[in-house]
Amino acid sequence: MTRLPTNKLREIVGRLPTTRDEDWKYTDLSRARDITSRWLDAGGETDAAEMAEDIARITASIDATWFVIANGELQLPDDAPGVSATHLDEAPAADSALAELNTALLLDGLRLRIDGTPGKPVGLLLIDGAASAATSQAYVDVVFAAQSSGEVIEYHASLGATDHYANTMVGITVGDNAAASHVRIQNRDLNHVQTGRTRVAVGRDAKFSSAGFDLGGGLIRNDIVIDIAQPGAEISFDGLYLAGEGQHIDNHSRVDHRVGPATSSQEYRGILNGKCRCVWNGKAIVHEGADGTDADQANHNLLLSEKAEIDAKPELEIYTDDVKCSHGTTVGQLDETSLFYLRSRGLDKQQATQVLTHAFAAGLVSRVPVEPAREAIGALVEARLATLIQSNEYFS
Amino acid sequence: MLEIKNLKSRIGDSEILRGLSLSVKAGEVHAIMGPNGSGKSTLAQVVAGHQDYEVTEGSVAFKGQDLLELEPEERAREGIFLGFQYPVEIPGVNNAYLLKAALNAKRKHHGLDEIDAFEFLKLAKEKMATLGMDPKFLNRGVNEGFSGGEKKRNEILQMAVLEPELAILDETDSGLDIDALKAVAQGVNALRSPERAIVLVTHYQRLLDYIEPDFVHVLSQGRIIKSGDKTLALELEEKGYDWVREAANG
Repeated sequence: MTRLPTNKLREIVGRLPTTRDEDWKYTDLSRARDITSRWLDAGGETDAAEMAEDIARITASIDATWFVIANGELQLPDDAPGVSATHLDEAPAADSALAELNTALLLDGLRLRIDGTPGKPVGLLLIDGAASAATSQAYVDVVFAAQSSGEVIEYHASLGATDHYANTMVGITVGDNAAASHVRIQNRDLNHVQTGRTRVAVGRDAKFSSAGFDLGGGLIRNDIVIDIAQPGAEISFDGLYLAGEGQHIDNHSRVDHRVGPATSSQEYRGILNGKCRCVWNGKAIVHEGADGTDADQANHNLLLSEKAEIDAKPELEIYTDDVKCSHGTTVGQLDETSLFYLRSRGLDKQQATQVLTHAFAAGLVSRVPVEPAREAIGALVEARLATLIQSNEYFS
Repeated sequence: MLEIKNLKSRIGDSEILRGLSLSVKAGEVHAIMGPNGSGKSTLAQVVAGHQDYEVTEGSVAFKGQDLLELEPEERAREGIFLGFQYPVEIPGVNNAYLLKAALNAKRKHHGLDEIDAFEFLKLAKEKMATLGMDPKFLNRGVNEGFSGGEKKRNEILQMAVLEPELAILDETDSGLDIDALKAVAQGVNALRSPERAIVLVTHYQRLLDYIEPDFVHVLSQGRIIKSGDKTLALELEEKGYDWVREAANG
C-alpha cells in the first residue's frame, strides 16, 4: 500500500476527534496529534527497535498461536493450526478520522479465519516502541466461521519509554452458532497513547465473551462496538482498569440491539490511585422491533485517592417495548470496616489495601473467558496492583 | 498485662466510655457484662484500635507499653486479638490466605521465619478439627456466606492460629446454637494458660457456664459499677441489671 503524501496525512491528523466531540469530551487526543506531527516532521520513518526479547517473553507467557505486529509490521507464525491467515489485500473502508489515519498509514493488515475448533487461542501481540517518537497502525480482522468455536487474545505492549501513538482496529465476526472468546490486555508504558477499536458483529445464535484489562498506558481510549443483527445472540464483556499517577484510561462501549431476542451484559471495574482519570461510557441502543432484548450494564469504581477522577456514564436508548434493561454504577472508597478487620489481624494498611483491591478485581480475573490467558492475566493484575497502591502519598 | 485507667472515649459527639478502669493479669479470664449501650463493644474496639473511637482521657497499657500509640496491626502483632461481634465478610479473599498472612505478619514482627504453605495447612487443619470446622472453609472467601455460627467459629479459628496473649471476645456467644457455643467455648478454654488473658464481653450468662471466669464486671453508662467473682454473673442472670444499677446509684 502506498502512503499518502505528508500534507494529506497532516490534514487527517487535523481531523482527529477533539474534546468538542461529545464522544471524546473527556479524552484529549492532543498528545496523539503531537506525537504524529513530530514523527511526520522527522520523515515519518520508524527506526527498528530490538524487540525480540520482549516478544519472546510475552509470547511465552500465554500458550497461543501468536501473530506479532511490531511497530505496525506483521510477523506471521511458521505454523498456525486451525487458522488461515492472509495479508489484507485492499485498504479497509474508513468511517472516521481515526479509521482514515489507520488506512493511510497501515503497513500491513491481517485477516484471520477460524474454522472448527483450533486447539489454541489466536494471539495478537501489538508491540510498539522506537528510538524516537513514532506512530503505528494495526488492522486485524478475525472471522469465526459458522459453528466454529475459538479464542483470541489482543495483547498491547510497549518497548522502552519513548513517546508513541498506536492506533488499532480489530474486527471480529462471529458466524451463526459460533462461539468466540476474546481478551484484551493493555500493558503499555506511560509515554504511550493508544486509540483502539474492537468492532464485533455476531450471527444468529452466536456467543461472544470478552474481557479487557487496562494495566498501563499514558492516554488510552478503547472502543468496543458490538452489532447484533441476528436473533439469539449472547454477548458478555468485562473490563478492568487499574490507573495510577498520570494515567488516563477511557473505555467506551456501544451495543446495538437491532433484533431480538438477544442478551448483552457488561461489567467494568476500576481501581484508581493518585492523580489520574478514567472514563466509562456504556451505551446500549435497543432499536425498534428488537423485542426480547435483555441488556445489563454495571460499572464499579474504587477511588483510593482524592485526586483520582472517574467519569461514569451509562446510556440506554430504548425504542421498543418488550425489553429488560438495567444499569448500575458505583463509586466508592475502600470499606473501612473491612480495612479495620484485616488490620486487627496484623496486616498493615498497605497489605490490607492490597488484599481488598485484589478481592475487588478477582471476580473479573476468575472469569476471564480465554482460559489459557487467565493465569498470566492474574499475575499481571497482581503486579500492577502492588505498584499501584505503593505509588503515592496514600500510605505516608 | 492490660491496665486501663480512667478511660474516656467517644464516637462523634457521644461520649460512651466515661472513666473506665480495668486491670487484667496474665492467666486471668474476665467477663464484662452489661446492658445494651453500656459501652462493652466500645471498650473492645478501643483496645483493638478502631479509628472511629476517639480517646479523650485516660490510658491503656499493654505489657507496660502505651497501647494508644500503636496502630491496630501493631497491637495485633504484639499479641492482642479481637473476636468481632459482627465478623466482616470479604468476598474474593480466601480464608486460608488471610490466616496465613496474619500469622506471618505476627511471626515476622517477632523475628521468626514465615511459615511455609505445608506447615501452615497442617496447623490450620489441626485447629479446625478441634473446633469441628470442615477444612473446606479454608478455601472459601473470608466469612463469605457463612452462617452466624460459622462466622463465630471462624473468629475462634483465627484466634487459635494466632495464639494471642490477650484475647477480647466481643459477644462471641450471640446467635450461637448449643453445639456452636460448646465448640467456641472449647476453643477459648484450649487457649487458657498462665501466660494468656481472656476478656469475654457478653450480654448473657450462658457462655460463662462453659468458660468459667475469674472475675465478672458490670458495665453501665461507660463505667464498671460492680466487680465480683463468677457468682455475680448468676446473680445478674437472676435479678437483671437494674439491681446493680440501683445499688451503684444508691
